Amino acid sequence: MSDKLSPGGLIRLYRLSGGAVAVVGYLFLILPSVIVIPISFGGRGELTFPPRAFSWDLYADFFTDPAWWGTAVQSLQVATLTTILAVVLAAPASYALVRGTFPGKQVLSIVLLSPILIPLIVLGLGLYLHFASLGIVGSTLSLVLAHTVLVTPFVMVSISSGLRHIDPALERAATIMGAGHITIFFGVVFPQIKASIAVGALFAFLISFDEVIVAYFISGADTMTLPVKMFSAIRWEISPVIAAVSTLLTALSLVFCVAIMFLQKQDNGSSQ
Amino acid sequence: MLTHKSTFLLLLPLTAIVAVFFLYPLGLIVFNSVNDGEWTLRGYEALFNSRLIAIVLQNTFEIAIGATLISLALGYPIAMHLARQTPKRRALYMIMVMLPFWTSILVKSFALAIILGENGLINDFLGLFFGPDFFIPMMFNRVGVFVGMVNYLLPFMILPILTSLMSQDPALRKAAEIMGAGPTRIFLTITLPLSLTGVMAGVLMNVVLSLGMYITPALLGGRKDVMMANLIDFYTRKTLDWQLASAIAVSLLVISVILAAFLQRSRGRGAAL
Repeated sequence: MSDKLSPGGLIRLYRLSGGAVAVVGYLFLILPSVIVIPISFGGRGELTFPPRAFSWDLYADFFTDPAWWGTAVQSLQVATLTTILAVVLAAPASYALVRGTFPGKQVLSIVLLSPILIPLIVLGLGLYLHFASLGIVGSTLSLVLAHTVLVTPFVMVSISSGLRHIDPALERAATIMGAGHITIFFGVVFPQIKASIAVGALFAFLISFDEVIVAYFISGADTMTLPVKMFSAIRWEISPVIAAVSTLLTALSLVFCVAIMFLQKQDNGSSQ
Repeated sequence: MLTHKSTFLLLLPLTAIVAVFFLYPLGLIVFNSVNDGEWTLRGYEALFNSRLIAIVLQNTFEIAIGATLISLALGYPIAMHLARQTPKRRALYMIMVMLPFWTSILVKSFALAIILGENGLINDFLGLFFGPDFFIPMMFNRVGVFVGMVNYLLPFMILPILTSLMSQDPALRKAAEIMGAGPTRIFLTITLPLSLTGVMAGVLMNVVLSLGMYITPALLGGRKDVMMANLIDFYTRKTLDWQLASAIAVSLLVISVILAAFLQRSRGRGAAL
């Protein structure tokens, strides 16, 4: 559209400066995520850019030091369990909220989505007090439950938008033909919203895997997650291994980001 | 097709988990803020009387508002730039916004520490011109906090503005152009006013996120840049004053809920348009 605008001097200036601000903005956004990549191959010495030599040392350190790799395994475990639990809880709830009608529906959906809007530090403190009184502070179970509460709204938003795009008449037809609830869900609804569920699951996994504040409050020495380890490492020691961890995390984000964009595109394509 | 009974059964598991591990813990904070064995308002009195807390509150609002304004100034032109691209090129540029959006804040903070630090990239580069002893302090101070916060907040500003720019009917601009309006006038009377719902949503989202910010001030800020979230952590872990920590958390919670309610309303209106 803007190509059809008359080439007035003022707007040309604005467009040039606006475009320049945008380019600076993109660089500012992307630079921190990519600069860690070359640094991570620079070896164990002082962190330098550009690196003086090429080596895999920092990656070797990461995968062999239990203090690092152990926390990565713990994070994988917590994120996997959280993702499963969140999808299992969110799918039926989203279905009921999208298709059902009952008094108080509006209020209930706000309550179920509200963990998105609460500062994590507040939730961290509350869960810390709660788990302390139950005596399960520092357990993997408490981490999974906390992360499930945190990520479920994102899964619900994704699954609900998938449900809104499919025709409920198909489910009605299946009911008339005598299919039960479970048959309808797995035979009619699930195949149509697969992509939305996958997007929700990817959101859940990545948010849980990267989450640091709540985990910092409620994880113990044996159940420390990778982000908590990384937070204290940046804060107190600036170990060069952090560069390798950062690169791996950025690669993970890139894979998830592309997968989510691809699935969302596919979803939009199939529903139209 | 759903009976009340099956609706209830579908919602029960999640509602139970949210009640026990979300609503109850929040209630526990409220209870703790007014009761430490006996009923008392000591925590809230300290909120108004303590000089430390007054300074931290002032920091929090200064940083939140400042970071949001910088994020808006930088985010609007980026959203405009994205809106003007062909779908293919937009998808490409979107990766530049979405990758940082999904990158761990720890990675970004670590990278910014390498870029901004005393022996960081920028100061090394400046050292080539002004001698090795020359450096500009950009970490452990307000500069570091603003850079880190804006870097984190930008995607949350760009995405709602982009959505409202993309939902504008191009025929409006074309009609204005045919009737002789210049580009500046078209921007001021059509594009900008119609994008205000997106701006509003982005600004509120930015303020809510930055009020509760913990990581950035902890890693890139100095002693003078402590924010509310850091203070909650300090009272919980260092001094074990759970009551005061809870009182600060309740205030942060109340402010966030009020702002979130506005956000919900501005979104609702945006959707209705």
